Order: sequence, then structure tokens, then C-alpha cells
Amino acid sequence: MASQVTVFVENKPGRISHIARILGKNNINIRAITISDRGEYGLINIIASDPDRAHDILLKEGFSVSRNYVIGVLMKDRPGALADITEYLNESEINISNAYGFILKSGDKAVLILEVDDFDRAEEVIRGGGFHTLSKEELVNL
Amino acid sequence: MDEAYWDKEIETIDRHSLQQLQLERLNKTLERASKSQYYKRRIPAKINNLTALKDIPFTTKSDLRNSFPEGMLAVSRDEIVRLHASSGTTGRATVIYHTKRDIDNWTDLVARSMYMTGVRKSDVFQNMMGYGLFTGGLGLHYGSERLGALIIPASSGNSKRQIRLMKDFHSTVVHITPSYALHLYTLFQEKGIDPKNDLDLRIAFLGAEPHSEETKLRLENLFGLDAYNSYGLSEMNGPGVAFECQLKDGMHVWEDSYILEIIDPDTGEGLSDGEEGEIVFTTLKREGMPIIRYRTGDIAQTYPEECPCGRTHRKISRIKGRTDDMLIVKGVNVYPMQIEKVLMDIPEVDNNYLIEIETVDYLDSLNIKVEVRQNIFHGGIKELESLKKRISEDLKNETLISPRITLVEPNSLPKSEGKAVRVVDKRDRDV
Ligand SMILES: [Zn+2]
Repeated sequence: MASQVTVFVENKPGRISHIARILGKNNINIRAITISDRGEYGLINIIASDPDRAHDILLKEGFSVSRNYVIGVLMKDRPGALADITEYLNESEINISNAYGFILKSGDKAVLILEVDDFDRAEEVIRGGGFHTLSKEELVNL
Repeated sequence: MDEAYWDKEIETIDRHSLQQLQLERLNKTLERASKSQYYKRRIPAKINNLTALKDIPFTTKSDLRNSFPEGMLAVSRDEIVRLHASSGTTGRATVIYHTKRDIDNWTDLVARSMYMTGVRKSDVFQNMMGYGLFTGGLGLHYGSERLGALIIPASSGNSKRQIRLMKDFHSTVVHITPSYALHLYTLFQEKGIDPKNDLDLRIAFLGAEPHSEETKLRLENLFGLDAYNSYGLSEMNGPGVAFECQLKDGMHVWEDSYILEIIDPDTGEGLSDGEEGEIVFTTLKREGMPIIRYRTGDIAQTYPEECPCGRTHRKISRIKGRTDDMLIVKGVNVYPMQIEKVLMDIPEVDNNYLIEIETVDYLDSLNIKVEVRQNIFHGGIKELESLKKRISEDLKNETLISPRITLVEPNSLPKSEGKAVRVVDKRDRDV
């Protein structure tokens, strides 16, 4: 299963670059990074090349950090691809608490990251719809 | 001809007769108090002169708390017609019981005080203080009715309605916190109202919050009215203990109803007029719950000179500070300990928190900073938001103030060891 690392940060300048620098120094690549902004604080979600190590390093640096499972869906990078999958999830009544995407270097593929409430059912349903969900290894080796 | 005094005989009584009256009433008070569980073995049955008062032990806030709820009650519960209680759900509450005559006497003192500042039957009094357990609202309400003015029991909040009421009924007198008055002024500006010309306000009672003389003068100028300082505390009824006369130079303490002492807070020794110390009061007319030598925790001094207004009751200065760490936020008394107790009951909070008070748009704002520690963080926004809500609600239940909760990164607040600063008061004092 794929996982993301979530870091609690106060909304003050320099926090994201500070985190990126820590991970970079430890040779961890950041595949994608998004922020859920709540005003005075935010949650930074990171898809990293080595989520376990990223988690431990940030914890040691004193951050409040958690690691949770997410579903990574491989998509064609073309108009309508996102609509296809979101419509399908909607029809299947999958509850999504957060979603974000990133484009792969090759340029013809994209990855949609989903945080869902009922992880097992969601993954089964998504696969059942003919979509490709990424394993931990696949996500790391992108 | 407009009479200058509400009760000329009492207000201008000569000092000697006043002291006679005090001794007489003090002995009645001792007799009544001895019927309460708390005082029964603590006080003498009678004293022969006022100087013997200093041999009677003080009563403190914690004595009041420890005798909660009925330890100081001196009459049968059937005689009690009202109570006022301080905030607090964690054992910090205090309660004051009033008989019918207590309410009557209190009301008369408030009417006397208001009359002294120039309020008359023809006035329209908009009372913008909170009604309820807080004594400021009801205290002035009944005093104003006794005086015969027209009262608008507007209570606090709802600025639009307050302004509407002022215009519709041509309010001439207001009872308001200084911070709310400044807030209203900014609204006046937005609406293009010039309070000096468009409203009929002429007298303001600034209550419930410590404020500087500068703030008071500023409000007088902005609104074009006379603002009067007053002093009261719920243990001594509430408003109507001490009030400024029209000379606005110190507050007359109604010494026919209270014995006023100023003591050295460290030694408990009595101080002379003009020396700064802690105010100590003894009720002289209270039936339901007499309180003897109550240490207010407020620091002030008495004025030795006679007042040209003709009143013989001594005056005290504005309150210069506290002997403890009590905070006054939005007119409500709050002890940092109260906040700490609530926070400590929330397992996620632990020892890392900071209480900040600041002025936002002229109003007090209470902000509690809480660290999101590593072991409580599970990555969810919902969780964090519900934690914020829970802290805020628990604090509101305890202190009656809704604080803003700010979540901060771990290890960003002062450590709990040693003498960490837990309260930061950033309010503008001299706006
Ligand atoms: Zn005077």
C-alpha cells in the first residue's frame, strides 16, 4: 500500500522549504507535496521516495508527523481523465477526505492521490473499475 | 430647585456621628454573622470601639470558596430572595446571598451613587452591561428604577441594536465597558454618526474593566459626555460600593454601609490615609451573608482631604493593581489557575500552553496557544479542529469567555519547568 507523510506546521514563512531541505539532505526525493491550509496552521502532505525514513527523520527533527495509507491511482495525462475517475468514485459512494494529483516526468501519465475513510473497500472498488492503483514499490520507483 | 443629594443626612453626616453609626452597625453585624457556621467561633460577640476591629481575623476569597455554598449564610434560606455567583465549575465558585432588605439597601446605594453623578428622573438610562449572575447589570438596573429614570435593559452585545436604541429613545446615560465604548465609536464612524451632535448621551458609567484615566478622558471627548469611575465587587453586593462625585477626583466609599480599611498586604497592618495598600471591607447592613474584614486583593489609597462636594464619606483612588494574578478579560474575572485547570483536564494539552490577551478592534481577545505534540498528532484535520473546539468549549464553561485556540508546533512554547511565563497580556492600556 502507498503511504503519505503528513506534517503539522504553523503558518509561518519558510516551513515548507525547511522540511524540503531536511529531506533533501537525507537523499529523500519528494514526488508531490500539498498543503491543507487551516489559517493559523497547515498540514503538509508529502509523497516521498522513502516514506518510512521521511517519517522517522522528521519526527527526530521535532515535528509532529504522521504516516498514513493513501491510494495512488495511475491516470493518463489527458483532458477528462480526472473527471472519469472522480465520477466513478462518486457513483460508487467512496468518501474522499482529501485528493491531489501530480504529473509524472514522462509527461503522459499522472498520479491521483486519494485519502479515503474506508481504505480497503475503496481500493477494491477502484480496481474493480479498471483503474490501476499503485503499490508501495511502484510509487517509490516512479 | 434641584437637590444635590439623594440622602443628604447620611451623605453629609459628620465624621464623629458616622463612626458612632459604624460601631453600632458593626456590632449588629457581628451578632448576625455569629449565626453562620463560618463566623460563629471566629468573631467576638461585641466590640467597644472601632479600633478593636483590627483584632478580628480577615476573611479571604478562599474562605468564601471553602465555605461554599452555605457556610457564611447567617439567616434561614427562606429569607433569601436572590443570589449572585461568580463563574467557575471546578470548585472556584463563590456565592453571595441576599435577603429582601439586602437587595433594598443595595438598590438604595446604587440610586444614591447614580444621583450623585447627576442622573435624574428625566434621564433615559441604557444599561449595556450583562444581566444575570454578574452584578453589574441588575445592580444598576434596580438602582436606576429606584431613582426614577427610564431604564432600557439592553444588556451587552448586539451593537446595531444598541445604536438603534440610543437614537430611538434618546438615551442620556449609559453603563458600558470602556472597551465596548471604543468599539461602538468605530461603528459610529462607519455609520457617519457623530455622538456629540447626533445623540443625547451626557453621562457614562464605565464599569467592569480596569482602564486608565487617559482612556476615560478620551471617551469623554469622543462621546461628549461625563464619564464616572466606580468601584464594586460582588462580595460587597456589586456596583454602588464607591462612586465618583461630579468633581471626578476619587470615589466616595459609602461608609454608612461598609467599613473601609487599607492594609499592608504583606503584614496585614492598617495603613493611614494617603498610603497605598490593599482595600479591606466589612459589610455593615448585610443580613443574609455578612462579611467581615474582606480582603479584596485590590490596591488603592484613600484621600485624606475633605471633598468640596460636601460628602463626608472618604474617597479612594482608582484601583492601581492586584495582590494576586487575577485577570480581567471582557469584564470577567479570570484566574490563570482556572484556565490551567481546564487545560490540564484535557489529556492532549499537557503542560505546554500559553495564555495571551490582546486588544483586537478595542475589545479584549483571549487566545490560548496549545502545542500539537508528536504523540497526539495522527494526521487528521478533523481531529485537530475538534480538539480546538473541545478546549474552547471547556474554557467557556469554566470562565464564561470563549477563547480563540491556536495550535502551534511542538516545543515552540516555554517549557513547563521552572518559572515559565504562562500569561502574556498584550492589551493596549492607553488607547
Ligand atoms: Zn465628592
